Amino acid sequence: MSEWEPKIVSFLCNWCSYGAADLAGVSRMEYPPHIRVVRIPCTGRMSPKFALAALREGADAVWVSG
Amino acid sequence: MGLVKRKAAYVEYPQAVPLKYAIDADSCIFLQKGKCGACKKLCPTDAIDFDQKETTGTIDVGAVVLSPGFTPFDPSRFDNYGYSKMPNVITSMEFERILSASGPTMGHIVRQSKDKREPKRIAFFQCIGSRDINKCDNAHCSSVCCMYAIKEAVIAKEHAGDGLDCSIFFMDMRTHGKDFERYYDTARDKHGINFVRSRVHTINPLENDDLEIRYVTEAGEAKTEVYDMIVLSVGFETSPQVIDLAHRLNIDLTAGNFCKTDTFKPVSTSREGVYVCGAFQGPKDIPQSVVDASAAAVEAGLSLSKARNTLTRVKETVPETNVNGERPRVGVFVCRCGINIAGVVDVPAVAEYAKTLPYVDYVADNLYACSQDTQDTMTDIIKEKNLNRVVVAACTPKTHEPLFQETLINAGLNKYLFEMANIRNHNSWVHKNNPDLATQKAKDLVRMAVSKVALSQSLQEAELTVNQAAMVLGGGISGMAAAKSLAGQGYETHIVEKAPVLGGQALSIYKTAKDEDVQKELAGLVAEINGNELITIHLNSELKGVEGFVGNFKSQIVSGGNESVLEHGVCVIATGGYPYQPDEYNFGKDPRIITSLDLDRKLIDQDASLKKLNSAVLIQCVGSREPDRPYCSRVCCTHSIDNALTLKKMNPDMSVYILYRDIRTYGEKELLYKEARKAGVIFIRYSTDNKPEVKLTDGRIVVRVTDHVLQLPVDIPADLVSLATAIIPNRDDTLAGFFKVPLNEDGFFVERHAKLGPSEFATDGVFLCGLAHYPKPIDESIAQGNAAASRAVTLLARKNIFTSGTVAETRPLDCSSCAVCISVCPYSAPSFTEKGPFAGKAEINPVLCKGCGLCVASCRSGAIRLKGFDNDQIFAQIFSFNEAS
Repeated sequence: MSEWEPKIVSFLCNWCSYGAADLAGVSRMEYPPHIRVVRIPCTGRMSPKFALAALREGADAVWVSG
Repeated sequence: MGLVKRKAAYVEYPQAVPLKYAIDADSCIFLQKGKCGACKKLCPTDAIDFDQKETTGTIDVGAVVLSPGFTPFDPSRFDNYGYSKMPNVITSMEFERILSASGPTMGHIVRQSKDKREPKRIAFFQCIGSRDINKCDNAHCSSVCCMYAIKEAVIAKEHAGDGLDCSIFFMDMRTHGKDFERYYDTARDKHGINFVRSRVHTINPLENDDLEIRYVTEAGEAKTEVYDMIVLSVGFETSPQVIDLAHRLNIDLTAGNFCKTDTFKPVSTSREGVYVCGAFQGPKDIPQSVVDASAAAVEAGLSLSKARNTLTRVKETVPETNVNGERPRVGVFVCRCGINIAGVVDVPAVAEYAKTLPYVDYVADNLYACSQDTQDTMTDIIKEKNLNRVVVAACTPKTHEPLFQETLINAGLNKYLFEMANIRNHNSWVHKNNPDLATQKAKDLVRMAVSKVALSQSLQEAELTVNQAAMVLGGGISGMAAAKSLAGQGYETHIVEKAPVLGGQALSIYKTAKDEDVQKELAGLVAEINGNELITIHLNSELKGVEGFVGNFKSQIVSGGNESVLEHGVCVIATGGYPYQPDEYNFGKDPRIITSLDLDRKLIDQDASLKKLNSAVLIQCVGSREPDRPYCSRVCCTHSIDNALTLKKMNPDMSVYILYRDIRTYGEKELLYKEARKAGVIFIRYSTDNKPEVKLTDGRIVVRVTDHVLQLPVDIPADLVSLATAIIPNRDDTLAGFFKVPLNEDGFFVERHAKLGPSEFATDGVFLCGLAHYPKPIDESIAQGNAAASRAVTLLARKNIFTSGTVAETRPLDCSSCAVCISVCPYSAPSFTEKGPFAGKAEINPVLCKGCGLCVASCRSGAIRLKGFDNDQIFAQIFSFNEAS
């Protein structure tokens, strides 16, 4: 269990957080590889159903950022 | 900057465009000693060429724009602050890098001395290399340092928490930009930054690399304090190379070695056809530089407008294939990006895996998917394999989506039948120590992209023609400057002015800071506007209503009782401002107590009584920087000093006093301040808790003010009191509603972006200039008028515009007419259908929709979909993220 890492589905706003994740790459910052990004046009597009669907599919956490 | 070491092969900075490596020739062992050359051996694309040499070429051009910028003052030249000797004395530029998240310490604040300790006390020293002819020869104010020092102090405190103590040592606090005064107030009152009005005279290094400073307070008390770090707020200079360039180009410079320009031609150099923008024109901040840049572009374009599009080539268009109803046939292109992706991710394994995914008909792995030859190959493959969906697994769609979409268009596919899987920025670059998991993640990302693209549909972009006419609201200086630029570019322009004459507030101004006669120049400009066949002037006119959107506005205008409709493609808002009429200082009770524009009127009229005055008192910040109006009116310090000098020239024996809070003669206007002190104008500083009093007794005026040096009240008998009153915008909520543009709490319009979009609105097709944006002097008003026109021309010149395909669409049958979409949309895109079978149901104007999806998420009936980000597409991504492979 000590190596367990949570699987995170993240919904990132195209205009800010998605770009920030790009910049994290450009800056070669490291973070755990268990995150899956879904690009959305704006966090205004986010629906509670998306979060529920991700949890139902096995995500340990859902992260919405924008 | 030398804060940390850099390799000889380097990227300039993380946001560099293009994001490509370069070789630092001074540090490269091969170029210096002929050894190594490892990069050339290792480079898979053979991109290293050690033989590249500087070349000299000739380009034929019709105009030249100079934007060589500034160089920060080097404090080691006159090292009274020990910059080169003491490690914890650094420049503001170095501190900026230390604060940067991508900087040498990843945004963590540490001292530069060997202890690398986090500082607990930081002091900022202002005016290093500015307003100083004692330690250096820079008489000018660098305009931006007060503001950046406050910003750096606030960021430092936000990062380090309340334990950090920041003090700013300054002479005058110059926060004259839009919203800057509020920032200063918040920094002092909320963030607890100390502001000390003093020039520090001595720094002594202590044994532990701490710094002991000595200064004299306002009250005359000598103080000694110890700080951990000192940041020198260095000013702007023109570099010797640029001065040399100016001499070679034969353009005139000012006393401070900035490019010489006239107030009424703020971006024109002394040489015809050569224009200037940015800090070379004078020290300035980003918004003003951006304004200048647009202004220089439109001015340079004036002489070239006839040649527009004569050198452009028309692109051949490939007819679009209809793929509706076809089974998805997805092509997946996995990019290696040299070793950027392939060095971490097992690209062949990802490609093999992609072949197993549903609907995937073709998979390739490419060394560089974005290279021109790969693009050509991709076009051929799409046609040959009859693919109708494409996934590129490579870098980020933010930079590369348009490129690949172009490839789809060239292959006859709708550009929305495309998806990117970001396996570089979001994967190989951030998981370099985890190749197995990174490969797994790449497979997942490709699978998610494939499942989304399989559900994508061809989307249409509406094509709109842009009406080739412009409307300028307001016939003041900046409105006229905008109209002149628009007409100069060949567009029909209408000026709508509510007054019976053109000119606005400039009609009341005597002289500019550069001693130009405003009325003479203004008359020339009005005559030019009147004589321009492309400009129609609507005087005594007001706007009654506006319909339509970018490219196709219909405005109802009422001119002296007659209504007419004006059709135009763009609108420039230049509605200006007016001077505050005060209710303090006994204003209105005596004809000798007037506003500074009243004084200008007397000067314009050559009022003979002015010469006979024995004493004049000019009071600053009347109505500005007060709780009701917490902004600086930007122009008043320079204006009053100019008027004081005029009075002194008329009668050198006249006693002229300026009562001020901070003198804000930014840029080379500082030279006027110096001239005024030399001419004997007496400056007395007051504070808001101890304001001057203007007393009327027995027909005499006496102004009582507490002198900041003597710390005692003094009575000044005055024959004239001139009040420098605030500039108030012509707040117009109805107009803001017509164009759906926002106003701030002070009544100024809010631009698209405070720094990068100062002359346009977030609403497409609507532009902004002059006092309606923020108080500013004539040169800046004209530059912004030109800039607004410049931005407008970029739209008009396109003749047709395409809307985005990723827009929201309603299903009227599901709509319950609740109007939530109408209330949440920031762009006013949804409305109720007026006629037909779906009357009363919501519909969305694709032209106004920005595709944010807010209405989709808010619709309680599920009646709205966002094309390109449809529910089924996002669910498909979610459903496929966790499939075992």
